[in-house]
Amino acid sequence: MIKHSIRLHPLGKELMVNDQTPLIDVLHEFGIEFPCGGKGTCGKCKVRLLEGEIKTTEDHQQKIEKLGLSDDWRLACFSKCTTDITLEIDQFNHLILADESEFDFCPQEGFGVAVDLGTTTVVAQLIDLSSAKVLAVETMLNPQVRFGADLISRIQSCIDGNQTEMTRIIRAVIGKMIDLMMKKHPVELQKVVLVGNSVMQLIFSNGNVSPLSMYPFKTDNLGLKTLIPEELGWNFQVKEKVKFYPSIGSFVGSDILAGILATGLHQKEKFTALIDLGTNGEIVIGNKNQIVCASTAAGPAFEGANISMGMRAVTGAISSLNLVEDKIEAIVIGNTAPKGICGSALIDAIAILRKLDLIGMFGEINSGETAIQITGKVSLSQKDINEFQLAKAAIATGLSILARKLSIELDEIETIYIAGGFGSYINIENLAATGMIELPQEKIHKIGNTALIGAKMFLFSDTEMYEEILTKTRHINLEGDPNFQNIYVDKMLFL
Amino acid sequence: MEELLEKLLEAVEFGKVDQKSPYPPQLKGQDGSHEITISAIETGISPQRILEEALIPAMARVGKKFSENKIFVPQMLMSARAMGASMLQLKPFFTSGDIKTKGTFIIGTVKGDLHDIGKNLVAMMVEGGGWSIVDLGVDVGSDRFIEALRNNPGAIVGISALLTTTMVNMGEIVSSIKEEVPDTKILIGGAPVNDDFCQKIGADFYAPDPQGAVEYLNKMAS
Repeated sequence: MIKHSIRLHPLGKELMVNDQTPLIDVLHEFGIEFPCGGKGTCGKCKVRLLEGEIKTTEDHQQKIEKLGLSDDWRLACFSKCTTDITLEIDQFNHLILADESEFDFCPQEGFGVAVDLGTTTVVAQLIDLSSAKVLAVETMLNPQVRFGADLISRIQSCIDGNQTEMTRIIRAVIGKMIDLMMKKHPVELQKVVLVGNSVMQLIFSNGNVSPLSMYPFKTDNLGLKTLIPEELGWNFQVKEKVKFYPSIGSFVGSDILAGILATGLHQKEKFTALIDLGTNGEIVIGNKNQIVCASTAAGPAFEGANISMGMRAVTGAISSLNLVEDKIEAIVIGNTAPKGICGSALIDAIAILRKLDLIGMFGEINSGETAIQITGKVSLSQKDINEFQLAKAAIATGLSILARKLSIELDEIETIYIAGGFGSYINIENLAATGMIELPQEKIHKIGNTALIGAKMFLFSDTEMYEEILTKTRHINLEGDPNFQNIYVDKMLFL
Repeated sequence: MEELLEKLLEAVEFGKVDQKSPYPPQLKGQDGSHEITISAIETGISPQRILEEALIPAMARVGKKFSENKIFVPQMLMSARAMGASMLQLKPFFTSGDIKTKGTFIIGTVKGDLHDIGKNLVAMMVEGGGWSIVDLGVDVGSDRFIEALRNNPGAIVGISALLTTTMVNMGEIVSSIKEEVPDTKILIGGAPVNDDFCQKIGADFYAPDPQGAVEYLNKMAS
């Protein structure tokens, strides 16, 4: 297969990709946002073509003109790689928020690092605090993955005596990522901020994880953590103390606190929701007066776990499926042969199979077979469909119960943001068709990594800002609701 | 008479609660288990026969289909609701002793764990298998199991867990029960549980699904 190189300016990164690889596949790993979800309307993913060529379709050309851009600009969400290219990523020059606006910040002296410490992936960006420009980005797998994929198995592994090692390796990896960025940009660091879920926070700060292993799942150890580089084993200096932001509740961490900040839902008159379809499936609904949030056990299926041919949104994963004249067409990340299916394509598959009446309202395969072929060697089993039902019901139930806690109807929610590793690939129409989010499509907006956006905002903010959000926010235990089971089972259906 | 029992069996198997219930679509407008049970009692069919010839075989079919992955939680719950509607009509006959159950099954979710859907499905299937149920709810420790056993001598105990972090609590509960009320049979289940773990903690049986629990209990009763 023909390969091309992509050089990213100002990161100084060079990548090799297959011919015809969409830029969205390459860029979303660097924390680049596609606020309008690849519709080409917001222009926030625009890149300047410094070397090489990206052919434009008529549609692409019109979007570029409509946005008033000169002819050396391209929209990453519409572009494919067909030659060696060098790109300047415009987004790294500003901080784009979930609602497509730019972050209004107060310029500061020096440089900072923002880290989103995810259960599966860690992303760090080096930021010039005088301009909010992104100078460098590093992405790595969370090395704790070998101690378990989901949070409960990580907790179990800590209890089994592996916590010291898990704490050591995550501190080392983040230190290494920062080190790599500073090798390219030898600057003095003013501050480092981290966000992550409560378990990631406790392990990073070497707190006691065991209270989160069973009911009542409570610990008072989830506040702001400040640490110094020496105790983290880092061999570089940071002028201020390293901050790991506080969690909201037992299973809703500072990544969601950052998400609330990034969407600005805590300042809005009307109700806004944020759903993170990551490993832990957190949901937030709120406005400027009150916010409720909860975690659901929805994530694993969307991350590829428990799905026979499931995988994360990486090279070789089918990222989306389309129905073209009653035939299913697959789009594969990195434009290679499909190895499996990631969360966004799982949603597409279910919506399409239901549309073709190949599965019934209870999720049953109508033919009575144990699996349905999707494309090539990739198929979905009856059990996979059932796993999806559990996941989608968990989200739908969470939304329903949280809306009740606010004494509002679901349709009083003005905007609903979908964040998560595969967020950019989600087809909203299909998402709505599965019944996971029972709201009109136009209210649903996808957004990539709100945790990272919020973490960058923390670099510019004082502690009062997050304290204000924490005061307004209530953490809800969904399973404690007496109606949980009835709602959950109803939401498993495809109506 | 036979026809009513067959109709009731069908209504429960496919989860038809009452006439106005929209589920399942293929039985739309027809009588559900509520109406059929009332007719059956009025016609003079013995409540014991209603239980043994309609409800138990219907729930056995449901359990089998579930363990074969042919149906999923929603259909099973629909069937359980239909069974519940029938049981409500039969309740006086249980109280009066006209219906004999196979025994008593005490069930609860393990201490530290709040997940109850799996536990509830097992309780419903076991009830549909002709057993009396004592459901202790969630976050249940050894003291509550032992108290329930003292109130229901000879009952069999079922313990459920969904989390790897909470299933370890089963060990302590099993040994306490075996110490306080020797000869008690204990079955365990839940996503992280397996046969090895069952043997390790000294429980008597691991049920991979609700039907497995019903079959084990029936074997103990015979």
